[in-house]
Amino acid sequence: MASVNSDEWRAVCDKFTNAQNLTEVESRNDPENDPFRSKYKARELLREIYCSLKSFEAGEGEEESGGESGEQRPTEQPVDGQREDGQGISGDSPAGMRAAKLGAVEYYLGVNHVDTEELSAGQEHLMNCMKLLDRCRVSSENVSLFIHVRNQLGILWAGRDETEMAQGFLETAESNYQRYMKEDGSPPIDMTEYFTSEENLLTHQERTKRFELAYTHTMYYLAQVYQNLGETERAATYCHSTLQRQLQLNQFNPMEWALNAATLSQYYITKGRYMEGRHCLSAATVISGLAGEVPSEAAAQESETESERREHLRQKRAEIARCWIKYCLNLLQDSKKLLEDNIGELDTDRQDELKRARRREEEEEEKGRKSALLFGSEDTFDSIASLEEKVLCLFPLDFTEARSVFLVGQNYVTQAKEYFQMDGYVTDHIEILQDHSSLFRALAFFEEDLERRCKMHKRRVDMLEPICNDLNSQYYLLIRRQLMFELAETYSEMMDLKLTLANRQADTQSLDNHTIKKFNSLCSASAKYFQMFLDSLCSPEGKFPEILEEEVLRPALVARFRVARLHSRLISSVPPVQLENLNRSLENYKYVVQYCEAHPEAAAAAETELELSKEMVGLLPLKINRLKARMAANN
Amino acid sequence: NTSVFGDSIKVFVRVRPLTQGTGLTTDGDQNLCLTVTSPNTIRLLSKPEPRTFTYDHVADMNTSQDSVFSSVAKNIVESCMNGYNGTIFAYGQTGSGKTFTMLGPSELDNFTDELRGVIPRSFEYLFFLINREAERSGQSKSFLCKCSFIEIYNEQIYDLLDTASASLFLRENIKKGVFVEGAVEKFVNSAAEAYQVLSMGWRNRRVASTSMNRESSRSHAVFTMTLESKESINEVVNIRMSQLNLVDLAGSERQKDTHTEGSRLKEASSINRSLMCLGQVIMALVDVSNGKNRHICYRDSKLTFLLRDSLGGNAKTYIIANVHPGSKCFGETLSTLQFAQRAKLIKNKAVINEDTQGNVR
Repeated sequence: MASVNSDEWRAVCDKFTNAQNLTEVESRNDPENDPFRSKYKARELLREIYCSLKSFEAGEGEEESGGESGEQRPTEQPVDGQREDGQGISGDSPAGMRAAKLGAVEYYLGVNHVDTEELSAGQEHLMNCMKLLDRCRVSSENVSLFIHVRNQLGILWAGRDETEMAQGFLETAESNYQRYMKEDGSPPIDMTEYFTSEENLLTHQERTKRFELAYTHTMYYLAQVYQNLGETERAATYCHSTLQRQLQLNQFNPMEWALNAATLSQYYITKGRYMEGRHCLSAATVISGLAGEVPSEAAAQESETESERREHLRQKRAEIARCWIKYCLNLLQDSKKLLEDNIGELDTDRQDELKRARRREEEEEEKGRKSALLFGSEDTFDSIASLEEKVLCLFPLDFTEARSVFLVGQNYVTQAKEYFQMDGYVTDHIEILQDHSSLFRALAFFEEDLERRCKMHKRRVDMLEPICNDLNSQYYLLIRRQLMFELAETYSEMMDLKLTLANRQADTQSLDNHTIKKFNSLCSASAKYFQMFLDSLCSPEGKFPEILEEEVLRPALVARFRVARLHSRLISSVPPVQLENLNRSLENYKYVVQYCEAHPEAAAAAETELELSKEMVGLLPLKINRLKARMAANN
Repeated sequence: NTSVFGDSIKVFVRVRPLTQGTGLTTDGDQNLCLTVTSPNTIRLLSKPEPRTFTYDHVADMNTSQDSVFSSVAKNIVESCMNGYNGTIFAYGQTGSGKTFTMLGPSELDNFTDELRGVIPRSFEYLFFLINREAERSGQSKSFLCKCSFIEIYNEQIYDLLDTASASLFLRENIKKGVFVEGAVEKFVNSAAEAYQVLSMGWRNRRVASTSMNRESSRSHAVFTMTLESKESINEVVNIRMSQLNLVDLAGSERQKDTHTEGSRLKEASSINRSLMCLGQVIMALVDVSNGKNRHICYRDSKLTFLLRDSLGGNAKTYIIANVHPGSKCFGETLSTLQFAQRAKLIKNKAVINEDTQGNVR
């Protein structure tokens, strides 16, 4: 090898610096119609470096131990499993260093080809690098290259849907790291240092930083590989440690980090793990605070950068608020599921039992908390913990607890709506309103006073009804369908509450006129929205589909059934009106039965409804005939 | 199928002829990696076992432009007249014939040529239908047609009809739905005028040459035609709006950003070392199927957001998947065929938040 101070070696180093600069800096400015210009230039330089390295070798007349000469053995597909690194030349020997340097050039050539969309050529170079390293033991001289090349091969193979192949490379990188840290642990040389002069070597701190970052990437790629393999739990763990490593290494953009943590919270929520979910959200809120203050509106009008910054910060904070809303909502809903009896009312025995269980568990909680994965650095840990204290992570078991969760959720609704306003963000705005409505709905379950419960449902109607009527039905068809269904159900709920209240007050079945009017208007409103939902399924010509699509099958059958029931419940003392209502009712029951007869596979989608519809199709004609007879007799 | 909405996404696979002297790396590749086995199946000669894929339609190398139009676009243009939104996507590897299918030979400016593509033919047919309808109805029905043409490049939106403008934003309005704020809209009265608007914008697209391909489109281009019909019957004015979107996607090998990739890993960008996409990884973990309600902080890609309405719901969509038969393209062809098969599953579902308890009381 040419001596470190020789001119030839210096020329190689210069070329390398140049190639790095072309790849990382210049290439960003390449014209759009020639996007790889700098990369192609860098490629040429790397090839020249490779030739020089080879000729240094030849000049010194050292024996080659084969395998790395121009002609390759036919490449058998290697799987990088757990391999013994025991034998081979030591990493810091001259032979080992030469192999590592050649390997590094192969590595950079490989990355270069991959970047320029020449994957097979890239693969060949990366595999050459692997082969060169195969002969060396892992040492502080080459461990970084070991990990980098495997990261790249992992990416490459995953891109070809060969996930197991990728997994092999990445897991080896992971174990290489762990073994190295256990056995040596000194800050390893970065590959770029192979081609730098003595005076430009990196500090220990910088070496550690780069090495840890490469390993963080391994974690990040493994998270994706496990996700692709369907091992979600494992993938989530790797996401978590990627985030935690970023914090520790102080290598993160606060807002980006916060969004990632907030997204991870949603994973935990869907798994019912509220303690972890809350922790991620608290960390997200605290870390997002590190991104700084939102510029004022005035400042935003002054400069474009401030305006962009304002937009960015406001949007991301609103997104995090929406993750919090989901946290509160799911916590309430899950707890409702735990507490409700078979008709959806609060089961007080269950409530007492859960309260006792919670007291027992409270002591356990401290322990569980400590063993859970935690985020935070020394500076942020306390802030995260104090934010966590502001909301429960245990299931609320009574109205007071439920209300405290509700209020936190409602507060985030207000925050989120400040950014996601109707004008400009229709879909987002409505989603937030739907969550707000669901928060009310879940809270109403815990409310014992029926009058107040009814008022909560009225709030839901007030927030959703105007939008449902204003939305363009063509562009917001799907959202409107959701709104119609929800409104129909809410009115129906209110109707039931009114009836229960009236029956309680007036011991007898006789209802006063005012109550009847109220009841009928709620009943009609509910039927109206179910009918609107059904009408939304019609073609532009107004024809109802003969075959219901899978995703609307159940809602459509349920809506028909509910319309039928609502019409039979309308209260009237006028026989012709009664007759009309019963006929409407029968017609809708018949639809359910006939549809399921014609399409037997539909029966499973609405089993209970079908059974009751069949019964009613049998009974209603009798009732209708009796009514007709009475009407005839009276005439 | 009698359902009005049935099967809202259809897939058409087209195999282009072998290339000669075009400068593509696939030139002179005489080995085929696939055969068309029936009008809706294609066999890919993969190892160890050949694989058969089934689509709504498979067109072999000899298929004429006119028959592609008849199978793909005719119906969609007709439903646009009836008030439905329609979208036609062209998908595939660079060099697989997307532009030829959609537009026709690139040197062609005369749109009467036999080789003209789906887009000029759709214009002709649409205006044929408009004129026929207007004539039939006497004075009672009138039509208004306007076009916009945008490009999505690196998740930024540019107006191809006004290259001087900065990047534009997607916004939503309760009456207009999703729209590109500030995009130029040109009124057109004939197929020729529409074609003129199209070719003007087309020249402004971002293309790039790489050592792999002579010409590779780096952006998604979306040509939107908005059709408004006004009908007055007995002094009641009935207005109907519909949109026809013609989308030329960036070469599939470039589409790391849309939802089209299989199991490709998101990479850490080497410049700022950011793990920006970690959130997207986590996003994929968050399961919706268990009925839990969650929020994902990462917005849809601009393209999917803009065309949200075309993926399911009340719109008609056709995806044309273009493939190159050469064995050198095996990998990309396989991934295109797999994408096309997954595409059938894309649906914009509305989950009805239905109360399952207490339905029956």
